Amino acid sequence: MKVVVCVKQTPSTTATFSVSDNVVSWEDTGSGKPNVVNPWDEFCVEEGIRMKENHGASAVVALTAGPEGAVDVLRTSLAMGCTEAFHVADDAIADMDANNNAKVLAAAVNQIGDAQVIICGKQAIDGDSGVTPVLLARELGMTPLTYVSAIKSVDGGSITVERLTEAGQQEVTASLPVVVSVVREINEPRYPSFMGIRKANKAKIPTTNLADLGVEASGSSNVNWGTIYAPAAREGEVEMLSGDVGDQVKALVDRLFEEKVI
Amino acid sequence: MSGVFVYIENAGGEMASISSEALGVARGVAADLGSSVTAVVIGSGVDGVASAAFDLGADNVIAVDDASLEHYTASAYGPTVTQIVGDGGADVLVAGASTEGRDISAWVSADTGAGLMADAIGVKVDDGRVVATRTVYAGKLLADVSVPEGLQIVTTRNRAFPPAESTGGSGAASSASAVEAAGDAQVVGISQKESGVSLTDASKIVSGGRGVGGPEGFEPVQALADSIGAAMGASRAAVDAGWIPYDHQVGQTGKTVSPDLYIACGISGAIQHQAGMRTSKVIVAINKDSDAPIFGLASYGIVGDLFEVLPALESEFKSRM
Ligand SMILES: Cc1cc2nc3c(=O)[nH]c(=O)nc-3n(C[C@H](O)[C@H](O)[C@H](O)COP(=O)(O)OP(=O)(O)OC[C@H]3O[C@@H](n4cnc5c(N)ncnc54)[C@H](O)[C@@H]3O)c2cc1C
Ligand SMILES: Nc1ncnc2c1ncn2[C@@H]1O[C@H](COP(=O)(O)O)[C@@H](O)[C@H]1O
Repeated sequence: MKVVVCVKQTPSTTATFSVSDNVVSWEDTGSGKPNVVNPWDEFCVEEGIRMKENHGASAVVALTAGPEGAVDVLRTSLAMGCTEAFHVADDAIADMDANNNAKVLAAAVNQIGDAQVIICGKQAIDGDSGVTPVLLARELGMTPLTYVSAIKSVDGGSITVERLTEAGQQEVTASLPVVVSVVREINEPRYPSFMGIRKANKAKIPTTNLADLGVEASGSSNVNWGTIYAPAAREGEVEMLSGDVGDQVKALVDRLFEEKVI
Repeated sequence: MSGVFVYIENAGGEMASISSEALGVARGVAADLGSSVTAVVIGSGVDGVASAAFDLGADNVIAVDDASLEHYTASAYGPTVTQIVGDGGADVLVAGASTEGRDISAWVSADTGAGLMADAIGVKVDDGRVVATRTVYAGKLLADVSVPEGLQIVTTRNRAFPPAESTGGSGAASSASAVEAAGDAQVVGISQKESGVSLTDASKIVSGGRGVGGPEGFEPVQALADSIGAAMGASRAAVDAGWIPYDHQVGQTGKTVSPDLYIACGISGAIQHQAGMRTSKVIVAINKDSDAPIFGLASYGIVGDLFEVLPALESEFKSRM
């Protein structure tokens, strides 16, 4: 059984952004690392590795679609314990809408071949859309199982998972192949080992591009990103409440009644 | 039929609160387009939800009521919604950006090729097309997006829009039949969450951070929350320390919340925490460090020891409510 884990590179959570001519750029002066593994994808990489450790997966392939520099997230995935990696390197991917991004991933999954379980993160923190797993599943004709908090069993060509929804938990069984998206409750991601990092740095990672995958780059967005801008600052300055504790809480409760939030 | 369709979630026989927000958005869009709102309700025993949709201003309701649809799966619901939206010639499909709404919107988008505007926090109509405002990069930027051609799908973020108001409307739902499921996913067990306000639906939240000092430090936080009927949140530092379950985490890798009132106790206000709560209407910060970044975001601030301020605040609330 082959497993593919989809890992996206995103701006770091502490990155600062600027927009000029509707083009976004970012930097992270604090950490000096403007791009990171999408935090939600750490859980999907970990779960992929556990598919090998606990459910007999023969290969765990880390897949990313993004610019050349996105190869870093594949090296991290290899260092954690993925057995292979696959990079669709193309600058055009950044401008695609979710549907076309999923088409690229689907073409890559088909190229990798024979995958029985595809694992994605819950959402990518660039857009926080959380729609790729279902789009990818439909593109591949696989069953989507989203918001999975536990993979209970994988055997006899079927998988049983626990899903976490607003209402509670759902246990679902489906035949393979499936696309799973995982939530943070599923595991604790491991840190890459020193040996793993050394091996990952030396690994030769297969790379392809949109043309070779046979995916059109042009006209590939059904969504028009009209204008991108910084949000207005929150209105008003903070009002610090003074006096002793009694005065402070009395004044605060007055304000909260005035604001009609109590 | 055409017009604006809205996907309504059935939460145990009642309309999910996020769906009433989506219905409100659908009504606004339909009014601007001069068209009508059709609510789509799926499940087993959905009469109550269908009447609620009429009451909240849907012009038409299409109900798919089928014992086989008792439990939600994307594989069973997705094809049915796709079919209904296609048959109805919908111009716009609105859904709440819940786990279910995200699944369904993506399903319809994949199968129809329609453009998807996920997680809108603002919606308007410009030149006969929907323009959705959405956050990107955890709210550090906003984008106004639109779908130039064909069906437009938009999902609405929890509590970003007011719930639809009752119009006192009523009617008879037209029934549609379920489309065969894509694949064999079967729900083999469910366990309902204990009731209580969910963080994302809450209109008031009291959160505790590392400043509470330990698991027992959440007691005064909980007591304050109880006194005003608020849900309890937490920073990641408190969750990582094992003081409170992850369920309660607010922030970029926790829940995105937007209550009317957010009281942050012993939370410094790291950028990742802000990402999950900065759209709260009124923010109160209680922190012993007057330089804590949370004060830069807060509407009201109290510099002090939370172990003194919280009990005092709780009794002040109790004496005035
Ligand atoms: C990828 C990534 C994702 C992250 N996601 C999240 C997330 O989703 N949510 C999140 O919250 N964080 C997140 N973080 C962590 C974030 O960076 C901060 O570390 C965290 O928010 C700090 O929590 P805190 O404010 O409780 O703790 P601290 O920053 O340690 O602040 C504690 C505060 O308590 C005050 N205090 C102490 N004692 C008292 C007292 N007795 N009375 C009053 N005040 C007191 C102190 O003055 C201080 O301001 C993330 C970080 C990363 C790298
Ligand atoms: N370009 C990409 N490369 C790799 N994985 C991706 C990509 N886009 C989306 N994903 C996966 O899909 C999940 C959801 O992404 P999104 O729908 O963008 O929020 C992510 O957590 C990733 O696992």
